[in-house]
Amino acid sequence: MIGTLAQIDYLASTGRTPWHRASAMGKLLLALAILIMAVFAPGLRLLVAVHALTWILVLTSRLPGRLVVAAAGYPLLFSALFIASQWDGTWQTPARLGFRPLTSSLAAVWLVGTTPYPDLFAPLSRVLPRSAGDGLFLTYRALFALLARSERLWRALRLRGGLTGPARRRLALAGGGLGTLVVHGFERSQRLYSAMLLRGHSGRICGCRHYAEWSRADLWVALAATVLAGLGVWLWGMP
Amino acid sequence: MSHLHIPDGLLPVWLWAGGLAVALLLLARASWIARGQSPQRIAYQGALGGLMLAAMAIPLGPFEYHLTLAGPVGVLLGGAGAFQVAFVVSAILALMGHGGLTVVGLNALVLGAGATVACRAYRVVAGRIRPAPALALGTVAGQAVAGALWLAVVWLGMRLRTGPASPGEAPDARLGVFAGLAVPLWLLGIVVESLVAFGLGRFLARVQPGLLPRKQEAQGTVGAAAGPAAGPGAGPGAGPGAGKAA
Repeated sequence: MIGTLAQIDYLASTGRTPWHRASAMGKLLLALAILIMAVFAPGLRLLVAVHALTWILVLTSRLPGRLVVAAAGYPLLFSALFIASQWDGTWQTPARLGFRPLTSSLAAVWLVGTTPYPDLFAPLSRVLPRSAGDGLFLTYRALFALLARSERLWRALRLRGGLTGPARRRLALAGGGLGTLVVHGFERSQRLYSAMLLRGHSGRICGCRHYAEWSRADLWVALAATVLAGLGVWLWGMP
Repeated sequence: MSHLHIPDGLLPVWLWAGGLAVALLLLARASWIARGQSPQRIAYQGALGGLMLAAMAIPLGPFEYHLTLAGPVGVLLGGAGAFQVAFVVSAILALMGHGGLTVVGLNALVLGAGATVACRAYRVVAGRIRPAPALALGTVAGQAVAGALWLAVVWLGMRLRTGPASPGEAPDARLGVFAGLAVPLWLLGIVVESLVAFGLGRFLARVQPGLLPRKQEAQGTVGAAAGPAAGPGAGPGAGPGAGKAA
């Protein structure tokens, strides 16, 4: 999971397609519209059309196919559980229950794969309470720092025999290992706070304002939104 | 078993929309309770949120089973802080495709409930027993509640959408199969998380006891947001007005 996230994070910052140049706000609104359309579409035709449009977005953003399959295919396991529980003998019900999550997860992959996280979190942090908005940035940042540390920790545990013996002992030792990460996180938060003060922290992390800087690339987002709206108007009443 | 991986479009609208509304209300309430906290406290919450995500990244067997650390994080941060962390973690997970974006509210409620119950249970027992078993017991209570909520949400989602079963099969038969798979995993999750919490509590009690809520905090009336905020070594979020620095 984290490997996928790290790759997506890297591609979001280094990609050179028009989607990467478009503003985060436009892409966020388009992804939200796709999600709403996927969840509320009454008929299968509209759902398939929205799904196809989302694939076009993903393919033109030049994200690696393996990554897209890994990230977008994740919900399939849990969708299968629901499909199995609700199968009514028709093919339409499984198709509907399969396309909905796939479409929304593809839209999410397209969004996070073309938008660097500061731009993505900045508009969200403005509508969330201060501590939660700041928490988005700080949690995401802490994740990668802790990840490298936790990998070294598991390696050390394995080399020193911490992962042998009865399960009770192994789990308790793993808890001790996580305790070192808690202490590290605490000390890191003190250093981070000092750094924030030195840099003139004003009491809120808002991220940059790039998310609302419109460019010519946003015309592509507008075009996609227009197609989506057209599909909605045309196919809403169809089965 | 305390985190929903359900993607978008599978749960009834009223269920996820209601969950999202309640979660946003609780988030506003939690932020209001913690309004005086310093950026250092928020950074500490971020670090523990990152730790939750890192723990969730390590699969522990089939069915994508992984730790959540909701119990220990609830005890370390208090109910209000832990709920904010649960919401942020759920939002980041949803952006990664782990659980739908519409399920963020329900996920935050399930994780946050586990963390809050763990915190309350820890407070009840912390004055009587050592920190490690207290943390483990708190985690047992938190995981039990979070798992029960998880089962309730999934069961409700499946129950309300279950169509006509095949001839001769009762509609609830498929739900019975689901429960037969999920309940043992739930119980296993309680055991695993509590053992890890025991090890974590034992380590913290030896190395950095200031991070654990002190006895009077655990037993007393200190607000959930305060948690381990005061005292030596428990710096995050300490003083009033700290947030106005710089």
